[in-house]
Amino acid sequence: MFSNKIKMILLLVLVALLISACGGTEEAATPEVFKVAVVMPSAINDLAFSQSMYDALLGIQTEMGAENFEFVYSESMFVVDDAAAAIRDYASQGYNLIIAHGSQYGSSLQEIAPDFPETSFAWGTTVDTFGLPNVFAYEARSEEGGYVMGVMAAMLSESGIIGVVGPIETGDAKLYVDGFAAGVAATNDAAQVNSNWIGSFSDVALASEAAQTHIGAGADVMTGTAQMVVGAVGVAEENGVLWFGTQSSQTSLAPSIVVANQVYRWEVVLNEMIELIKGGTYGGQSFLITLENGGLVIDYNPAFTLPAEVTEAAGAAIDGIIDGSIKVTP
Amino acid sequence: MIDQLFTEAVLVGILASGIRLATPYLYASIGETLSQRSGVLNLGVEGQMLLGAFTAFYITFTTGNLWLGVLAAMFVGLLMGLAMAFVTINLQAEQGISGIGFYLFGLGMSDLLFQKMLGTVATVSGFRPIHIPWLSDLPIIGKILFSQNILVYGAYLLVAVTWFVLNKTTLGLKIKAVGESPQAADSLGVSVSRIRYLTVSVGGMLSGLAGASLSIALLNVFQQNMTSGLGFIAVALVYFGGWRPFAVMGGALLFSMVNSLQLWVQVLNIPIPSDFAVMMPYVLTIIALVITVQRVRPPSALTKPFERGH
Amino acid sequence: MTEKKTLPSGHSQILQMEMHGITKRFPGVVANFKVDFDVRAGEVHALLGENGAGKSTLMKVLYGMYQPDEGQIKLDGTPVTIHSPVDSIKQGIGMIHQHFMLVESLTVAENVALGMPSTRGPLTDLKKVSARIYELAEIYGLRVDPDAYVWQLAVGQQQRVEIIKALYRGAALLILDEPTAVLTPQEVDEFFVTMRQMVTDGHALIFISHKLHEVLDISNRVSVLRDGEMIGTIPTQGATKTQLAEMMVGRPLGEIKIRQQSKTSQTRLVLQDVCSQSDRGTPALKNVSFEVCAGEILGVAGVSGNGQKELAEVITGMRPVTSGKIILDTQDVTGKSPKVLMGRSLSYIPEERMRDGMIKEFTVAENLILREHDQMPFSRRGFLDLKAISEHSEGLIQDYNVKTPSLETTVKSLSGGNIQKLVLAREISRRPHTLIAAQPTRGLDIGATEYVHHRLLEQREAGTATLLISEDLDEIMALSDRIAVIFEGEIMGVVPRDQATAEQIGLLMAGVAETAAK
Repeated sequence: MFSNKIKMILLLVLVALLISACGGTEEAATPEVFKVAVVMPSAINDLAFSQSMYDALLGIQTEMGAENFEFVYSESMFVVDDAAAAIRDYASQGYNLIIAHGSQYGSSLQEIAPDFPETSFAWGTTVDTFGLPNVFAYEARSEEGGYVMGVMAAMLSESGIIGVVGPIETGDAKLYVDGFAAGVAATNDAAQVNSNWIGSFSDVALASEAAQTHIGAGADVMTGTAQMVVGAVGVAEENGVLWFGTQSSQTSLAPSIVVANQVYRWEVVLNEMIELIKGGTYGGQSFLITLENGGLVIDYNPAFTLPAEVTEAAGAAIDGIIDGSIKVTP
Repeated sequence: MIDQLFTEAVLVGILASGIRLATPYLYASIGETLSQRSGVLNLGVEGQMLLGAFTAFYITFTTGNLWLGVLAAMFVGLLMGLAMAFVTINLQAEQGISGIGFYLFGLGMSDLLFQKMLGTVATVSGFRPIHIPWLSDLPIIGKILFSQNILVYGAYLLVAVTWFVLNKTTLGLKIKAVGESPQAADSLGVSVSRIRYLTVSVGGMLSGLAGASLSIALLNVFQQNMTSGLGFIAVALVYFGGWRPFAVMGGALLFSMVNSLQLWVQVLNIPIPSDFAVMMPYVLTIIALVITVQRVRPPSALTKPFERGH
Repeated sequence: MTEKKTLPSGHSQILQMEMHGITKRFPGVVANFKVDFDVRAGEVHALLGENGAGKSTLMKVLYGMYQPDEGQIKLDGTPVTIHSPVDSIKQGIGMIHQHFMLVESLTVAENVALGMPSTRGPLTDLKKVSARIYELAEIYGLRVDPDAYVWQLAVGQQQRVEIIKALYRGAALLILDEPTAVLTPQEVDEFFVTMRQMVTDGHALIFISHKLHEVLDISNRVSVLRDGEMIGTIPTQGATKTQLAEMMVGRPLGEIKIRQQSKTSQTRLVLQDVCSQSDRGTPALKNVSFEVCAGEILGVAGVSGNGQKELAEVITGMRPVTSGKIILDTQDVTGKSPKVLMGRSLSYIPEERMRDGMIKEFTVAENLILREHDQMPFSRRGFLDLKAISEHSEGLIQDYNVKTPSLETTVKSLSGGNIQKLVLAREISRRPHTLIAAQPTRGLDIGATEYVHHRLLEQREAGTATLLISEDLDEIMALSDRIAVIFEGEIMGVVPRDQATAEQIGLLMAGVAETAAK
């Protein structure tokens, strides 16, 4: 009787783990194929951070052909220990490049990478390779796109109050929000940027209430970063408040109010890494995606009619950042 | 800067938002209250909510019928509740562990279904706020109390109904007796397992409804793991409220309003680090719990399986 | 057969209940074998037997909790099948369980109403229930407040609630399972008044007890069960304690003789104003002071839950003292650990013998050396000397007459009596100066109880100072030289045995202090 109970519970837990862990199932095949494995903190369709990497890998595969490029992924690895186990598994299965897509995986990578000197690892977003010869680092200069968005937001806001919804005040999110605030300040120094850090990457309900709060405080333009902002986008749409997205395009969520998105195109740096690996360099360098190298793209919502002077100002800001006349310091 | 908090707009915002945010907590923790009152600790609430949230969203997304979505979410929650009842009542499995099992199941299953059936984050047109003639137009009160959607009202009605059932009906008497002394109830011909089946399945159903209130009434979107620990807070609120529906409601409102308050603290640029601000609801709830814990006593048979003749 | 009357409760009588040839088997055990038993309206039929004799099984069959393998139950001559307690309640059979079946957090009225159909459909009708409780209370002299919460009631009052519950359900036949076990002597007297009243009114009562004097006092007939079989049914008139005890045990019993106390002035254990807290942090012991001398037994009487557990734990070092002093053999040992105390020849027979006295997963031999396992001769340089252990254990098992298949048998598979013998063997063989015996015979049958008493008296002769904590007043009266009564953590008085009466001790147990002026 007792052991039956235990079996039943174990079975349940196993089924649950199996389901929650089942990600990419494509199997690695012939040796000449370039094989990539990626571990991501959220789902590949989060309309944010994880999706930006997934889309990039899909793009590379289309370009190189499925016979030459394969990739597998483990998504929703919000438990760092699970992610570490996945990274080690992929490494022992002989993948060419293993991407740890999340700054929280850094210390795991630092431990694992030296054990597999013939395998290349990449992690982001950061610039730190730990000085290891087989670790690449990558980061987005998201403050650049943030600045451009800020310029547009300042021009579009009538109330002069702009709301930001973020997860935790650190890393990529902080870079973006700082850049955004700088862009607003440079355009209209009377405009006010209110930030709300909700302390979670997944609490959609709280993100939605944060948006309500911004609107209550008079905001008529908002932006936000990380996957829980989908809750905020909904509130923005309901109240006719304009929205700027980042990491991936959020236009499909609310076509009537999304003005533009800063989209990450990791394929720019991934292609460089792949070339280096093929040439025998397994790491030791850090990469940035920027407006200049095309890794950051301002993706306008075609359904949203933007006044010409706003488009012009945005273009000027992009040009200024690329030619160095505008400095956005993180 | 602190005085900015005491303007009408902010106070109305905090109260209205608190009442709205409390809705999913209420459905889940009232369901949990019923289940615990009969002696079963259900830690799978979060998983039941996630599956409920997904089901409601998916059905509404594909059929456009909100009520069908609500019913489907309740049905899925009910099935989860029945499974939990079977494991804890018939198999007499350890309740805490089984609950965690069901949480993981709900988390994984909702994510899997989301990936396979929807593929991307999408939105639906959810329940709209109801405009009640005259009442909704009242100054202040109208905005706080009478401009919410039907599922918000339903949650508060549920609190009253549950209080009534527990305190005024023979069924309530049986539920309390089974949770306090299943032996006594059994000796008087009350079927312990029938009552527990009832409360655990109704609890599951309400958790499913809690999920629906998120995905098709408050947020109108489904995102993986969107409940984000809310189901566990709901279980904590049951302890906080000392297993009494209205006190549980008080806890849910306190937690939600403080959460809403901290959002305003940040938006108004009051110089408190955001990390501290987000801690506020938890810290306050813990303080309130410490103050009140002296007088609360859990149902005596909570987490104890019942076997006749012992 | 006489005409059926209506009982004062408004329900109809059961004139005669007969059980014929009841056999009930459990895996490996025959709990009841061809048992005949009957009870008639207007009588108390006592059912006697040792633990495990099959009394409870027989009554559970009657109450529908078990189904008999063979045999028949007839009510007023008509065969009936009772599938569950619901059925038996419908038939007019009620049962007062030894452990009350009350929900403490509910009110009296709610407890009475539980499981009954309401006149208001799904809503409770507590007002009507309360009115009916007042009515029944009036008829049977059972005063209770329907609105009181059960946890607020004293044990005696809770028992009244149980009886009212049964009467409310129309019980004409009541099974009373050891109803006096938890009562003070005064409460027992009150309870007997109620029982007599019910009998006069035409109820049929089955009274289960192992207290022979109570059985002789209240019943009309006595039946004795032994090893699942009915030994006989005799009229109470003319029966004697010795006769009933021998029917129960199946052999003549020795008399307990207390010799004159060997006067000694040597004080072994002294408590001075000892205070302590319960697990909940409430005061459990309040300024407890007494002393125990070599060669005497100090009995501590009291109703369950008045600080007895804490008292034993404080003396044995398992519970901290908040104030006061404990002196053992002239040395202050307040706050010392159990290990240090045991080194001072203090032995302890704990109340929860399966939890605190033995490790039930361990073997007989392992349990017997638990205290001295790390000392010579059982342990040499950290290794157990298995030969010495088995010789020592073998000797104890013979001396103490423990029935065990082998030394390697785990303790959990032994009977309660044999486990207690093992505890005694371990604790007494150390030749302690002081012995704390907490509820040493609880749950034991007459034979084993007799054995324990015999051993305790033997220790008294040998000069051990014994503190006997017991809720069984008969035991206290039979063994003690002096009797201390504990009530709500306070010692209400210490009375020499030869001056003590059951009434006086009973009043002290109920917290009535004025008569204790001695």
